[in-house]
Amino acid sequence: MVISALHRKLGRDLRRLWAQALAIALVLASGVATLVLGQGAVASLSDTRAQYYAQNRFADVFAEVTRAPRAILGEIEAIEGVLAAEARIVRLGRPDLPEMAEPGALLVVSLPGEGRPGGGLNLLHLRQGRLPDPLAEHEVAISADFAAAHRLRPGTSFDVVLNGRRHAVTVTGIALSPEFIYALAPGEMMPDPARFGILWMPRAPLEAAFDMKGAFSSVAVRLAPGAAQTRVIAALDRILAPYGGTGATGREDQTSHAFLDAELQQLRAMVQVLPPIFLLVAAMLVHTVLSRLIALEREQIGLLKALGYGRREIAAHYLGFVAVIALIGIALGFAAGAWLGAGLARLYAQFFSFPFLVFSRDPQVYALAGLITLAAALGGAVKAVRSVIALPPAVAMAPPAPPVYRRLSGWGAGPPLRQSSRMVWRHLAHWPGRTAGSCLGVVMAVAILVAAFWSEGSIAAMISATFQRAERQDAQLSFVADAAPAALHAARALPGVLVAEPFRAAPVRISNGPRAKRLAITGRPATAQLSRVLAPDLRPMPMPEDGLILSEALAEALALRPGDLATVDFLDGRRLTRQIRVSGISLGYVGLGAAMEIGALDRAMGDGPRLSGVDLALDPAQMPAFFTAVKATPELGALSLKARTLTRFRATLAQNITVMTSVFATLAGIIAVGVVYNFARIALSEQGRELASLRVLGFTRAEVAGVLFAELAVVVACAQPLGWLIGHGIGRAMAAAFSSDLYRVPFVMGREVYATASLIVCGAAFLSALAIRGRLNRLDLIGVLKTRE
Amino acid sequence: MQTEEVIRTAGLSKIYRSGPVEVQALRGVDFSARSGEFIVILGPSGSGKSTFLNILGGLDSPSSGQIRFRDHDLTALDEAGLTRYRRDHVGFVFQFYNLMPSLTALENVALVTEIARAPMPPAEALELVGLGPRRDHFPAQLSGGEQQRVAIARAIAKRPDLLLCDEPTGALDSTTGVLVLEALSAVNRATGATTLVITHNAAIREIADRFVRFADGRIVEEQANAQRKRPSEVSW
Ligand SMILES: Nc1ncnc2c1ncn2[C@@H]1O[C@H](COP(=O)(O)OP(=O)(O)OP(=O)(O)O)[C@@H](O)[C@H]1O
Ligand SMILES: [Mg+2]
Repeated sequence: MVISALHRKLGRDLRRLWAQALAIALVLASGVATLVLGQGAVASLSDTRAQYYAQNRFADVFAEVTRAPRAILGEIEAIEGVLAAEARIVRLGRPDLPEMAEPGALLVVSLPGEGRPGGGLNLLHLRQGRLPDPLAEHEVAISADFAAAHRLRPGTSFDVVLNGRRHAVTVTGIALSPEFIYALAPGEMMPDPARFGILWMPRAPLEAAFDMKGAFSSVAVRLAPGAAQTRVIAALDRILAPYGGTGATGREDQTSHAFLDAELQQLRAMVQVLPPIFLLVAAMLVHTVLSRLIALEREQIGLLKALGYGRREIAAHYLGFVAVIALIGIALGFAAGAWLGAGLARLYAQFFSFPFLVFSRDPQVYALAGLITLAAALGGAVKAVRSVIALPPAVAMAPPAPPVYRRLSGWGAGPPLRQSSRMVWRHLAHWPGRTAGSCLGVVMAVAILVAAFWSEGSIAAMISATFQRAERQDAQLSFVADAAPAALHAARALPGVLVAEPFRAAPVRISNGPRAKRLAITGRPATAQLSRVLAPDLRPMPMPEDGLILSEALAEALALRPGDLATVDFLDGRRLTRQIRVSGISLGYVGLGAAMEIGALDRAMGDGPRLSGVDLALDPAQMPAFFTAVKATPELGALSLKARTLTRFRATLAQNITVMTSVFATLAGIIAVGVVYNFARIALSEQGRELASLRVLGFTRAEVAGVLFAELAVVVACAQPLGWLIGHGIGRAMAAAFSSDLYRVPFVMGREVYATASLIVCGAAFLSALAIRGRLNRLDLIGVLKTRE
Repeated sequence: MQTEEVIRTAGLSKIYRSGPVEVQALRGVDFSARSGEFIVILGPSGSGKSTFLNILGGLDSPSSGQIRFRDHDLTALDEAGLTRYRRDHVGFVFQFYNLMPSLTALENVALVTEIARAPMPPAEALELVGLGPRRDHFPAQLSGGEQQRVAIARAIAKRPDLLLCDEPTGALDSTTGVLVLEALSAVNRATGATTLVITHNAAIREIADRFVRFADGRIVEEQANAQRKRPSEVSW
């Protein structure tokens, strides 16, 4: 029967070409997997966060005050659009744990929903134990990461220094909170669960410790659906202004949410730029490979036609062949993508300490990836089959008209090549379309590898600029409250301090017309050496006498350029509003930054010289003494250690990017191997006859292999530079997509990235050559003599 | 004319096995050829002619039996040894020419002379087959007969001891075939290469020193000609 004979041919073809079919399927699978895994991870994390926020009633608006009476809470709840409001006491405390050599900090927060069962905002999710009894003075819940870092369990007791006084507490529960998914200590750049945690405790002991009887220091507000956030914030600011309100903010300025958002944006950037490129590259390659594979079947197609098979049956046969490969690839891609996506989401969920993880799959993404892949594969087949079917059988059965090789003037006669080298050269030169196709395949393999490794240089550049050129202090002390200049002398007197430089951080709202950002302006001495502001060319910038230096990201966000006037509302002290001229643009990779000369800042604020903290250079030999002294003097405030920040930076941002990069690099590697192997195999099929003839003429196996491999080598070598160039472009796009308010990612691509990509591709070529070597050795010498070409 | 014996086989057999099916292509062939001899091989299709020639040329190995080239036992050679043997001593001409389409006539010849021990200049080989003026043409620009003559030039340029031709005129018309046979005959005289030519055209046997007839894997007839005719004198 007609169908069954063709079916049998299909099965045999697949078995004969299994290695090639598998390589093609893997290339397709890699393209599909990148798309599916990225989208899956992003969707899972966004949905998880949304569900977490909703279930635990994460507030929409936050405001801080110095001290406000709880009586005004009713007023706040009465603001139109406010669904619920919660007044809290939020203060910094210091844990006194014996194993903590370096002093750390705890953010102490009054228990949510206290006194109103089931009520409250920013509800805790208990990992272990129970919530503290509101009436038990010593019971606390502690954030899970800090608890894990110090092996705290329900029942563990330790001391917390609150407002200078020691307070014994007992842990009853280990908790997570939507408000502190990303727990960043004030003044720190990176979360450090070993040195910073959240402590939730009943209101009464906090009122007593911080002199907050019947008062609150922080308010969280949940908005009714559809409420106008800006109007609520304005109303809230009016109510809170008399109590030292520094201005309410929406979620977008809430530290944890903002950082989480930045991370998600990075992840989204990863999945929006790379995977479509991967998928297209895979599709394009498969298209080329399959059309060449089918072109090899030319004579068989002619024969089938001559035997009376219809075009449709023949087309269906080859489309079936291709569809089987494509479907295997798609299935593998779906499976790998779903698995890797879930793994990635789990990794991030762990990093963010989500209490649960919602696995989301967007069927549309799967459908899209599947369709693109299938279309590309079938398209390649249709193109090739159509061109062959169009020929009369007699023509199709004959070999394609041999290329009319010509001596290109100047070339053929030119180099004294051996004839076998001349064959290589003429093959490449006389099938320019095919050569270009192979080259392009390898180009894209190199390019996606380069692109996959884009982040390495960028992270190194961020680290070197931020931690070696800009921030050169060993530690930074942030005072509990702004202090008089004498505090600088006190800091200098601490054991082990070699150099101390003051700074002042002033919370402000900087605006330019409708554009506004909240941040802190840092005031530094004009000749600061420990913490420097860098110009975009990485040179330290001298602090101008007056005038404001903005980081690139901030200047861009506010559309301000040097010479423009910025409106600065100081949210502290005398709360003045000033017009300050922008005098320069600085480099800043993490967060938004603004800087002034410290004296100029004091003048602008109009409240005399004040210090927010000091940057310190420390004598490594005296570190323990220094730590002891700082611990003994709680009023010195929070200590941030550069070495730890750098470690955390590497362990978080760098690690997340690295995981992602490894996944992409692996998939890019598979694509590269698949492509090179396929091109090598096809070259072998196309030239098998000539190569076998060479063997008959007395050429050794090595010499014949040399002819084929030389061609492969030329293609692979020629593809490298263009691959680097395209990869460079994709990497640049990635860096741009990565940048957000909180991170500005420089684009630096070292030579080692190009080298690595090329090495992988050349390695793939080498392995493909090895794999093909076996087939070359088994060339059928007699077979080629019996048949016409 | 007593010259040195170049090749000798004794009890040469070849069995092709694929699964349960066995095909006995050769059943004990005893044969020898002397230096400079021109031998035509005849026989019906499937009688084992090509198999025999391929084994003589080191493209295939026998299932049993002896084959000696001068003092060398070919059956003892491994793959690399057979390659060496083909490279140094054997010239092939096939029905389908097997030229490299990407090389010109001259370059196709040079392809072989570059790896041979004591070759003649490629241009001289082309002159021998009367294709000197077409040296810079690619195979696609040559007729079938011309391509076959290039193949002959390629085969003889290395000054082989054995020139093995499997149906060299099989794809050609008679006029062109004569040209090709003239070239073979001339080359045989000029270089002294022992020449074996398989053909389906019995008339061609007259141009040879000797002819052998194969049937069913054996040599069934062997006869020497008193005189070699010129190919143009043979009528086919
Ligand atoms: N690779 C092979 N596998 C199985 N059988 C083979 C193989 N090669 C040849 N044969 C068989 O060996 C026998 C001799 O084949 P051979 O090619 O030597 O014949 P021939 O005399 O050259 O015929 P023709 O004149 O048609 O070319 C044939 O029956 C053929 O079917
Ligand atoms: Mg034959």
